[in-house]
Amino acid sequence: MSAMRADELEIVEEEDPELNEQQFESRTPWRLAWRRLKKDRVAMVSLGFIVLLILVSLFAPLLTALIGHGPNAQYTTKGLSLSGIPVGPGHNGFLLGTDDQGRDVLSRIIYGSRISLEVGIGATFLALFLGVVVGLFAGYYGGFLDSVLGRFMDILLSFPILLLAIAIVARFGPSLGLLIFVISLFSWPYIGRLVRGQVISLREREFVEAARALGASDLRIMFVEIAPNLIALAVIYATLLIPVNIVTEATLSFLGLGVQPPTASWGNMIAEAQTGDLFTVAWWFLVFPCVALVLTTLAFNLLGDGLRDALDPRYGRSHISAARKVRRAFRLRRTLPEPEPVEAKA
Amino acid sequence: MIRLIVRRLLYLVIVLVIITFLTYVVFFAGNPNNLAARFAGRDAGPAEIRDAAIRLGLNHGFWYQYWHYLVGLLHGNFGLDFQNAVSINSEIARAFPVTASLVVGSVILWLLIGIPIGIMSATHPRTLRDRASTTFALTFLSVPNFVLGLLLLLVFYYYLTRAGLSWFPAAGYVPLTQSPVQWLVHMILPWISLALIQAAIYTRLIRGSLLDVLGEDFIRTARAKGLSRRTVIYKHGVRAALTPVITQLGIDIGTLLAGAFVTEKVFGLTGLGQLALNAIGNEDLPVVAAVVVLAASFIVIMNTVVDILYAVLDPRVRLA
Repeated sequence: MSAMRADELEIVEEEDPELNEQQFESRTPWRLAWRRLKKDRVAMVSLGFIVLLILVSLFAPLLTALIGHGPNAQYTTKGLSLSGIPVGPGHNGFLLGTDDQGRDVLSRIIYGSRISLEVGIGATFLALFLGVVVGLFAGYYGGFLDSVLGRFMDILLSFPILLLAIAIVARFGPSLGLLIFVISLFSWPYIGRLVRGQVISLREREFVEAARALGASDLRIMFVEIAPNLIALAVIYATLLIPVNIVTEATLSFLGLGVQPPTASWGNMIAEAQTGDLFTVAWWFLVFPCVALVLTTLAFNLLGDGLRDALDPRYGRSHISAARKVRRAFRLRRTLPEPEPVEAKA
Repeated sequence: MIRLIVRRLLYLVIVLVIITFLTYVVFFAGNPNNLAARFAGRDAGPAEIRDAAIRLGLNHGFWYQYWHYLVGLLHGNFGLDFQNAVSINSEIARAFPVTASLVVGSVILWLLIGIPIGIMSATHPRTLRDRASTTFALTFLSVPNFVLGLLLLLVFYYYLTRAGLSWFPAAGYVPLTQSPVQWLVHMILPWISLALIQAAIYTRLIRGSLLDVLGEDFIRTARAKGLSRRTVIYKHGVRAALTPVITQLGIDIGTLLAGAFVTEKVFGLTGLGQLALNAIGNEDLPVVAAVVVLAASFIVIMNTVVDILYAVLDPRVRLA
């Protein structure tokens, strides 16, 4: 009797009431994950922001045409006061004001979003590709190949990354392509190590054995059997790597080694604002690019967090159960009434 | 233990060789003759350029120069810089205290912020306090270093000074030996800008680690034998939860000693990062190589220290 009650309680505790509502829809893992994600309001707002940002960067020429100010046009009469001080937000039709050269800050931020997304997403995809391939080979074959590749990734990760990136960019001259290449060069080992760990546990599973028994080649097992199991992991960590790469781009541009002026990038806008002391009287052309940068990285981080909870139920559940164990050990707060003591039957 | 140390030192040597090699390759992939022409002066003839190349040691082949450099390193000598033919050792000796003050102060600050918030958030999971600390962490995780630094300068230096409260100086560095008070005042903003971002990472780290530990059996045992909540959390839980934190701390200190470029640039601190940035701008290969070597050594040495600490702290590692 008591055993049965305990079991029932367990089931009630673990099941998600909303999942039972629509019983006739097929429940693929992706649909389940999407449903979990939809309930996460923070993640959905972040997703909305990111979609908006992508649209803005895609339609940048259209938007700046609507605003009427090009990103590099200098409005020396309209955009600067007589003493050469930038026009504040909302004045003379400059929604976010102008910078020290009389350029529209809003138009420049819109064009800057293109650079951030191009580099952030481009470098992440490159890193993802490299990381997954190397991780698959290292994890699947193990042995000597694994220790060589693993050591190599460790060494790359223990490099003073920024310093070497700076040295490389300084040597070959800054360009967008090189920027993407350098950033992905130093970020792929993160993915590589994660994938390697995952593959090591996956390669012992029955479905791999089954495929091998059917005579599948190593390459087929790696890329057809194992790789699909890595998609969730890849999606989560790619989402978390994008903001890191966006910040790296902005940092390099801030140090003058990334995107070169007059092309607008958030990093070099901030650097240009910092060089003069004009930003102390005209805060807007320093603060608005900063805000754009912070909101973008925050949105990707929050979405990544939400995706991790939604896509990786194992992580989510162990997370919750750890919290529950703590609560139980310390009786901090109970969500469920403790089962009433049932007298043992003889 | 000795085997561990020896292995680590061997690893250090290998990493250093690889890193110096890569630095040299990156620089020599350009054209060394351009370098000689630049340092010979604006209107130098071919003879002067040749002289400059000899002076800089560029007339020798790649392998000879690299070997020469490695031998110098083994003698603890970083060589002379291209720009002014000054000993790099003395330049580093000048820059290092700046970076060290920056790092030591901010490490203390971020541990003071990060550890208590992390513990609070793990011992009260899924409460308002936990959510507040998560928000704090995710916000500062998303703020790039230079953005926070610049905004701090804007608000605490420019606006406060204009309001008549000149509490914080603009930028620059005052040596501790010269004036401890001025040193402190000059370092506060840089410390805060580094520490807030790092504290965010540590809050998450400690929360996760402590939550895992508190879910383990030995915690339940400790509770069951009647120890107080405080004793269990602080003596049993936190101690076990700190191991991953120490690992991360070692890596972070190493990386930051390698040059907190951005913070140094924002606050005009002439530390190792600034030294490297200037050298890169001047294509001053020996200086860049010196900073890269130092940086990598810091990272590897800190990793070694962490491994040893690990063995001291955790009997499972020591006995395994």
